[in-house]
Amino acid sequence: METYRIKNLSFVYPKMEKKVLDNINLQIDGGEFVAICGKSGSGKSTLLRQLKTVLTPHGKREGEIYFHGKPLATIEDRVQASQIGYVLQNPDNQIVTDKVWHELAFGLESLGYDNSTIRLRVAEMASFFGIQTWFHKKVTELSGGQKQTLNLAGIMAMQPSVLILDEPTSQLDPIAAYDFLETIRRINRELGTTVIMCEHRLEEVVPIADRVIVMDEGHIIVDAPPKSVGKKLSEGNHPMFFAMPSAMQIYKSIENNLSCPITINEARKWIDAILPKKEMKKRFVVEEHIDRSKNTIIKIKDVWFKYEKDAADAIKDLSLEVKQGDFYCIVGGNGTGKTTTLSLISGTNTPYRGKVLVNGKDIKKISSKDRFRNNLAMLPQNPQNIFVKKTLELDLYEMLIDTKFEEKEKEEKVRKVVEIAELEDFLSMHPYDLSGGEQQRAALAKVLLLEPKILLLDEPTKGLDAFFKKKLATLLKKLKKQGVTIVMVSHDIEFCANYADICGLFFDGGIVTTNTTRKFFAGNSFYTTAANRIARHIDPEIVTIEDVVHLCQQS
Amino acid sequence: MVRDSFAGLHPIINFVYFAAVILFSMFFMHPILQGIALISAFTYSIVLKGRVALKFNLLYMLPMLLFMAILNPTFNHAGVTILFYLRSGNPVTLESIAYGIAAAFMFITVILWFSCYNTVMTSDKFIYLFGKMIPALSLILSMILRFVPRYKEQIKVISNAQKCIGRDISQGNIIQRARNGIKILSIMTTWALENAIETADSMKSRGYGLSGRTSFSIFRFDYRDKIAFTLIIVLLFIVLLGATMGENTIRFFPSIKIQEITVFSIVVYTAYFLLCMMPVIINIQEAMEWRHIESKI
Repeated sequence: METYRIKNLSFVYPKMEKKVLDNINLQIDGGEFVAICGKSGSGKSTLLRQLKTVLTPHGKREGEIYFHGKPLATIEDRVQASQIGYVLQNPDNQIVTDKVWHELAFGLESLGYDNSTIRLRVAEMASFFGIQTWFHKKVTELSGGQKQTLNLAGIMAMQPSVLILDEPTSQLDPIAAYDFLETIRRINRELGTTVIMCEHRLEEVVPIADRVIVMDEGHIIVDAPPKSVGKKLSEGNHPMFFAMPSAMQIYKSIENNLSCPITINEARKWIDAILPKKEMKKRFVVEEHIDRSKNTIIKIKDVWFKYEKDAADAIKDLSLEVKQGDFYCIVGGNGTGKTTTLSLISGTNTPYRGKVLVNGKDIKKISSKDRFRNNLAMLPQNPQNIFVKKTLELDLYEMLIDTKFEEKEKEEKVRKVVEIAELEDFLSMHPYDLSGGEQQRAALAKVLLLEPKILLLDEPTKGLDAFFKKKLATLLKKLKKQGVTIVMVSHDIEFCANYADICGLFFDGGIVTTNTTRKFFAGNSFYTTAANRIARHIDPEIVTIEDVVHLCQQS
Repeated sequence: MVRDSFAGLHPIINFVYFAAVILFSMFFMHPILQGIALISAFTYSIVLKGRVALKFNLLYMLPMLLFMAILNPTFNHAGVTILFYLRSGNPVTLESIAYGIAAAFMFITVILWFSCYNTVMTSDKFIYLFGKMIPALSLILSMILRFVPRYKEQIKVISNAQKCIGRDISQGNIIQRARNGIKILSIMTTWALENAIETADSMKSRGYGLSGRTSFSIFRFDYRDKIAFTLIIVLLFIVLLGATMGENTIRFFPSIKIQEITVFSIVVYTAYFLLCMMPVIINIQEAMEWRHIESKI
């Protein structure tokens, strides 16, 4: 049975010319798992919001939406509230009450169920999602992944027939995201709930979806099962192709007539099939040129740190050296102390044992003024935390307010960072109205006005799509060329593998191993890129998609 | 925290109990009743919080008690039994010393009761009780408890982010500091408004605003609660009866006067003792039961 039928849907925001959705036709059947992808601003979220009346933004709409065969607008709010479940992006923002059990019951309370019915439903949901162990906890004690699971469970308690998710894992770390997606898949398989989800993590989502819809500029450009999406995208030479799972990208770059692999496992079998056996011994060698004679700019020596007197050590016996001009990446799981390390380098936290030296000087002995001007700068995890003014332009000038530069000089400096960060089109906009990737670049531009020699980045790729990640990478490369040393903390293995010089694996308060990027990923067997996992049985030195393609073409 | 059986009872019982013992220890100045109240509050606080409470009680409460007991006679000179004269020529009387001690006892007892109250009456119990009376209030209270800590956390995050770009409220001159402080507040406001949109969406999406909203709670008034509640009511009745007969009070000035101890007054004392010690008794009884079961295994 069909769940949604959308006919000739178009949508324009008030006072805007451009159609955000342009003549969308779509049918979604009951029990289907549909993944919607596309660049930021392609109209994915706007489309999803049309599917539930209370969330539909103001604007001019044409066309019809049918839900279970009836026009959506005629279905009363009470039915929509329970039948159409909607999970939003930020786990924290969606939680309304202070206790887990109360949050689970929130929707049911709204629908006016009595105590015993709510008790049963809540108990069922808590068991299904494995919430029993933290059922009585305060929501502040939960991790990000648990919060998002709670949001999902609270919605599932209302027994919806369709579940709509708008980038639900963008704020989660990879492990939590994987668990969350696995739960969604379970709901789809075991309960038969229709799932419509937009996501950036295509590596994980595409394999579990029944159907993939690719949007661009308000149009649906591809609507196909996962196996044939890659083919259709590469035919049109569309940039979204580079956001698809590594297996698909590799497959399309090599001429062959086997069927398209989607998962790592399928890709391994595929690569075995196309590579002739005798070539197996051939080594794939790429020389990495890292100049070891450069000056050490950051030195952390046997550092210990804890947040409170009686707390456990957050950082244990950490030693680390960063050379001038390097792009140094710290990867590792959640809560292992990566962000804390950055705060030690920037001097916001002080170790109780050991030393942090920047340019050979103890960071605590450098005054705050000298520390952050022409020296260190840190980009916080959430760029929203540093915007102050009404427009981006004012916000950039605000950064220079304490300096003694002439008006002309200030103008010149702002112009320069705007050019580097490609922000020309957004200067008159409110910083909060920019998309995630644009906000990230705007915040970076602000930080760059301090003219730092060392740039500390805390998960800059969080929530960004493949397209914006590439832009960020180009920007970082430009800075590196200017001699800026970059230290980045990240979960994003693929990003680090493609762009970093040196990588270190953080675990349990210290760095376990450091090496040049290629050697680093070649040495790991789990914590490594998809491309490496696909081809490591042929050559462990392979790290990126290009490497695999190169290897296949050689033979 | 140690698991407390009394806290496991229905919130209404917890609330009535604390309201009663706190009010009683404020108004009943009779030395025996005061002694009972202080000992009970002291014991219960230790049952609830163990070593921490013991340390707190001895380190802060005891000196405070002594201090207040001494303070009163130096200022209050009423009473007929003069013990000696101060250098200033003012008399120190037995009555004022006794009153000082009694007031100090009362004060300490109430503080101890409140510390127990805070541990037992968690926010969800409080919300539940008031939600019963005014349903809309329960959600508002719950939301306040959700958002106040969240905003506090966010302010910390913002101020750290500002620090990392050299805008520190703990450095620079007073104008710079004030300016940075205001900046943090301004960012906080924008952030809160922006993020509240998604919260509102999430609430609307889950049917908030539909008519006939109910209020769910995880508490159930069971048989155990009924027994405990009946017991409290009976004990309350006896103690209040004693109060109307003037058994529970004491006159300090001009001279100390207490009612004579009769059979009835002993009944009142016992009732008050049982009432105050109820949580401790319940805990002991449950612990014994448990030991009994364990010995059989």
